[in-house]
Amino acid sequence: MTDPEQRLAESISALMDGESTELETHRILKEVGSATVNKQGARSKWQRYHIASSIMTGAPVAKIDLSAAIAQAVDLEETHRPSSLQKFTGSASRFAIAASVAMLAILGVQQFSTVEPSGSDAVQFAEVAVTADQQNNGPAIQFPSDFQPNIQARTVSAGGNNKVSQKPLVPVIQARQTVSQQYSEQEVRAYLNDIILKHSSHAALNSSQGMLPFARVTTSEGGSSDD
Amino acid sequence: MLVKWLTQVKLAALLAAVFVHGPLISQQMDSAYDLMARMAKASKELSYSGLFTYEFRGNLTSVKVEHVVRDGETYERIVYMDGPEREIVRRGENINCMRASDMLLRGSALKINDNTYAHLQDFYNFYIRGDARIAGRQVSVVNVIPKDKYRYGYVIAIDKETGLMLQSVLINRQGKPMERFQFVDVSIGTQVNDIEFSSELIDSADIGADQSDCLEGNQQAKVSESRWTPRWLPAGFVLSSYQPAGTDGQESLMYTDGLAVFSVFIDSSSKIRNLPKVDANLGATVAVLTNTEFNDQRFAICVVGEIPRSTASQIANAIAPIPARPMQ
Repeated sequence: MTDPEQRLAESISALMDGESTELETHRILKEVGSATVNKQGARSKWQRYHIASSIMTGAPVAKIDLSAAIAQAVDLEETHRPSSLQKFTGSASRFAIAASVAMLAILGVQQFSTVEPSGSDAVQFAEVAVTADQQNNGPAIQFPSDFQPNIQARTVSAGGNNKVSQKPLVPVIQARQTVSQQYSEQEVRAYLNDIILKHSSHAALNSSQGMLPFARVTTSEGGSSDD
Repeated sequence: MLVKWLTQVKLAALLAAVFVHGPLISQQMDSAYDLMARMAKASKELSYSGLFTYEFRGNLTSVKVEHVVRDGETYERIVYMDGPEREIVRRGENINCMRASDMLLRGSALKINDNTYAHLQDFYNFYIRGDARIAGRQVSVVNVIPKDKYRYGYVIAIDKETGLMLQSVLINRQGKPMERFQFVDVSIGTQVNDIEFSSELIDSADIGADQSDCLEGNQQAKVSESRWTPRWLPAGFVLSSYQPAGTDGQESLMYTDGLAVFSVFIDSSSKIRNLPKVDANLGATVAVLTNTEFNDQRFAICVVGEIPRSTASQIANAIAPIPARPMQ
């Protein structure tokens, strides 16, 4: 055998043992696929080597060559190229999944990140938090003694600070700077009461809450409003 | 082939779910907002009477209310059931009078100036929480959540049958309730129309309804003729009422964004303008008193409302005189 033929024979036997390199495999397939039926060609070598190995291992040997029929059948089968519609729906479905996940994520974050009251707090109203600046621990201003609470009954608050419910129903005032000039606390209170009453009566007319703003004014001199 | 068909069905179901999901969410927001608009209408146009409680910081008061619409005019009465006997009667309000807050709550966009519109949904999110039972009636509960830090949120319960607001809770920035208003007993509808409005109580105030704040149909927010203006306002607030300075030297401007309301009082009288700068709280209402000088004259400025204190401070510091107008 010539050198290339010898190399081919070695490649074929290596392929049969499953030990051929990629380059070799490609070369063999090219040779085998060529149309010529040469006695010394790769194709007939392939057949003879297979027959020889079958005889040696005792497997049944057939002289029927099915390769032509199979090649014909493969040619007849239609190629599985994805139609453009299938490509579109494939990518559309991926997009749809991504979009719906993104939308759920955004809506979920929106619902939770904004300030949202828990339902039980709003409905039961068991206890109202008194923020630090509302507590009566301000500086020199004392509540005047003539403003007495109108509360006869103690309100029920679950474990709350019961001292809160007995405080007088008056505005909690804090001066924002050290008071250098003389002023009367009574004047401030009178002015604020008047202001709050005017605001409430305007609000009762100009808001959607009907007469509710009037309910906020509990220490007013109710009869003096003349707007 | 069956497998192919199944995958196509799955795909179709997925796409359908995605496209239906979107409108459903916005539908929920829309119907919550529709409830609010219905509430605004009902509180003006329905006749009702009842007893409600008002609670803040552990203090509870109860108030009786009557609201009768007769021949296109409204008669309202509030009677305080606790403390000294007092009542307030208001009559003569025309039910066709649409004020700024009415229009905003019903979804109109009010024009503030050429570039700015105030529209309620820009500043609050509305979510339907669920159902409840208040004062013996079935209600829908709506969460109103502000989109910025300049205003408070609300939980509002609206009667399913008539649209009247039966409960309102003011929620602060930390999510804590600050005040609660809730009907205990209410009758709505025609059986209320026969109530006579005569006052037998000693301490009774009869106030007329100021019709000058009614807006024309052109959706333009009121323009202030005041000499003062806030150089800064939280977005969405429009002027809803203006009272010029009377003999007491006090001007007032009222702003609303449809839900929250605040007033600005500017005093030039000598007694008031020398008051020190104070902050005051009465329950949910905050009052910020400051002063300013202009043209060698001192003015006291007070911002009052159910808004966060920091917002009120910012507004008070931003009140400035309009340079073009002559000061009197």
